[in-house]
Amino acid sequence: MSDAAVAIDLAAIAKTYKMGSLEVEALRGIDLRVGRGEYVAIMGPSGSGKSTLMNIIGCLDRPTRGTYHLDGTNALAAIRLRKLGFVFQGFNLLARTDALKNVALPLFYAGVAARERNRRALAVLQEVGLADRAHHKPSELSGGQQQRVAIARALINDPSVLLADEPTGNLDTKTSTELMALFDQLHSGGRTIIMVTHDENIARNARRVVRLLDGLVISDDRSEYEQAGGSKVL
Amino acid sequence: MIYLEEALRVLAANKIRTFLTTIGLIIGVFAVISIEVLGHSMAGSISETLGALADDSFVIYPGQYQSDFDRAAIRMSDLTNIVATVPNVATAVPLGAMRMLIRYGHDEGRFVVASDSNPPFADLPLTYGSYFSDEDIASGADVAVISWRAYQRLFPEGGDPTGESIYAGAHRYVVVGVLAQPRRGVLNVNFGGDISIPYTTYVREYVHGDRVFAARFTVKDASIIPQTEVAVIDRIRQLRQVSNNVEYQTFDKAAFTGGINQLFTGITIVVGLIGAVSLIVAGIGVMNIMLVSIAERTREIGTRKAIGAQRGQILAQFFIEAFLLSGIGCFTGMALGLAAGGAINSLFIVKLTGYTAPIPIVQALLITAAFALVNTLVFGTYPALRAASLDPIEALRYE
Repeated sequence: MSDAAVAIDLAAIAKTYKMGSLEVEALRGIDLRVGRGEYVAIMGPSGSGKSTLMNIIGCLDRPTRGTYHLDGTNALAAIRLRKLGFVFQGFNLLARTDALKNVALPLFYAGVAARERNRRALAVLQEVGLADRAHHKPSELSGGQQQRVAIARALINDPSVLLADEPTGNLDTKTSTELMALFDQLHSGGRTIIMVTHDENIARNARRVVRLLDGLVISDDRSEYEQAGGSKVL
Repeated sequence: MIYLEEALRVLAANKIRTFLTTIGLIIGVFAVISIEVLGHSMAGSISETLGALADDSFVIYPGQYQSDFDRAAIRMSDLTNIVATVPNVATAVPLGAMRMLIRYGHDEGRFVVASDSNPPFADLPLTYGSYFSDEDIASGADVAVISWRAYQRLFPEGGDPTGESIYAGAHRYVVVGVLAQPRRGVLNVNFGGDISIPYTTYVREYVHGDRVFAARFTVKDASIIPQTEVAVIDRIRQLRQVSNNVEYQTFDKAAFTGGINQLFTGITIVVGLIGAVSLIVAGIGVMNIMLVSIAERTREIGTRKAIGAQRGQILAQFFIEAFLLSGIGCFTGMALGLAAGGAINSLFIVKLTGYTAPIPIVQALLITAAFALVNTLVFGTYPALRAASLDPIEALRYE
C-alpha cells in the first residue's frame, strides 16, 4: 500500500484513562491502516475499546501514545475535523431545523456562503435519495430517513473518511438493510467508510472486519470481502 | 445570520420560559423608560412655562402671615437706598397689584391691575401691539398691556384693540398691547396681573403714602442671585429696624426651577434604583435559564463540535441567544415604558401644563440598548463560555 493510497494510519496507538487512582487501558497499541475507498467494520464486545478508537480516529480524543496520520498529515484537530464525516447512532439532528439546513450546518461552520451551502446540501441530499424531503423537519421523517439526513450531513464537506458509530443501532432490520444498501452505494462511489458495530449481520456488509478485544486488534479479516466476490483489492 | 435564526427558533420553542425570563427585564426597563419620558416632559413643561421669566431678576415681599406686616412693608425710599448700597443690585422697582372694575364701552369685568417695568418680569409673547416703552415708564404714561383673558372679556368682538381706551374707575388707559393666549393649566402661573401698567403710573395713582407691597430687583451678575437676595433682605431689615424674626420671601426663576428639579431628581433616583435591582434579578434569571438551556442541549453542542464547530462559533451562538433574550425583554420593556409614559403624559401633564414634550425616543433607545448589552455581557458570558468549553466526547455521551 503506497502512502498516497492511505487514508488513515494508526501506529502503536494507546489510550489510558485515569479514573481516580485507577488507570484503565482502553487501547494497548493499535496498528491500523485504512486505504482510500475501503469499507471497514470495527467490531468488538463492549469494553473492547472500539468507541475509544473511533473517538481517536474522529479526532474527538487524543491518544496517550502512538501516532496518527490522516491523509498523510498530522494536522491540527480543527483541520482534521473537516476531513471527517460523523454518523451517530442517535442521528443527532437539530430537531427544529429542516433537513436541508441540518445538512448545510458543517458548511456554515466552515464559513461557506449561504447560497453555496444550500446548493451543496441539496446535491448531497440527492445522493442519499432525500432531495424531496429537504424542507421536512426531523420529526416529520422516519428513523431511516433521519439517518440518511445525518449521512448527507457527514458527506457535505466531502470528507476523506466517513465515520459511523453504530449507524443502525436505532433502526429496525428492514431500514438497516436499506441503509446498508446506501453504504454500499457510497462505497462503490469511492467513499472511505469506517463503521463501528456489534452486529455481525451489519458487519458482513463491510469489505474488511477488524475485531478488537481488551484494547488490541485480534483479527483483521478481508476474507469476507473476497468471499463476496468483490473486485477491489488493496 | 444563522445564529440569530437558531436562537429565535430556540426561544420560540420555549415561549413560556422565554416570557417568564424576560419579565424582570421588562419591568426594570419599563420603570426606567417611563420615568424618563415623564421626567423629560415635566422638565420641558416647567422650562417652557418659566422660560418667559427674566433670569436677572428677583422679587422680595414681606411674609404675609406675620403680625407686624405693617412695619415690615417696604417703602419707596428703601428702593433707592438699596440700589445705592447693595452691590450687584442694578435696579429696584415697586411691584403692586389691586383688583379693580375695568370697563370698555358696555363691557366690563373685575381684573387685577399690576405694575410692571421694561423689560417685563415675564416676557410673554404678544398677540397685538407691544410692551410699554422706557419713555412710557419715565413719563408715567397711562398705557396698559392686557391679558388674553381681559381682552376676550372687554373686546368680545375681537380685532386689534391697540389705541382703544379702557377705564379703571374714572382713570383712562390706552391699550398698547395684548398678551397671547396662555397655555392652560396650573403650572402656567400668571406672573403679572391682567392689566399691566408702568410702575411709575401705578405708584402715582394707587400707592398712598410710601408703602409698596413688593419690589423687583435686577442684578448685574445673575449667578449670585441667592447671595444678593440675602444682602437685600438684611438691608431692608436695617432700614425698617425690624428683627431677624420678621420674614421676607423671595421669588426667582432659578430657585423655583431648582426646587422642582430637585423633586424630580429624587423621583428619578428612586425609580432608577428599582429598575437597577430588577435588572440584576432579571439578569440572574437570564443566566440561570441559559445554563438550563445549555445543559438540555449538551448533546446538540457535542454534535455541533463533532461536525466542525469551533469554540468561538459555539460561544457566538450562545452569546447571541443571551443577547436576543435580553433584547426581547429590554425592548418590550422600552415599548411599554414609552407607551405608559406617553399615555400619562397626554392624560395628565399635557392637560395640566398645555405643553406637549416630544417623546425622547433616542435616549430611550440608547438606555435600552445599553441595558441589553450590559445584561448580556455580565450574565451571558459564563454560560456561553461553559457551552464553548464542553468536551465533545462527554457532550455526545450525555443523555
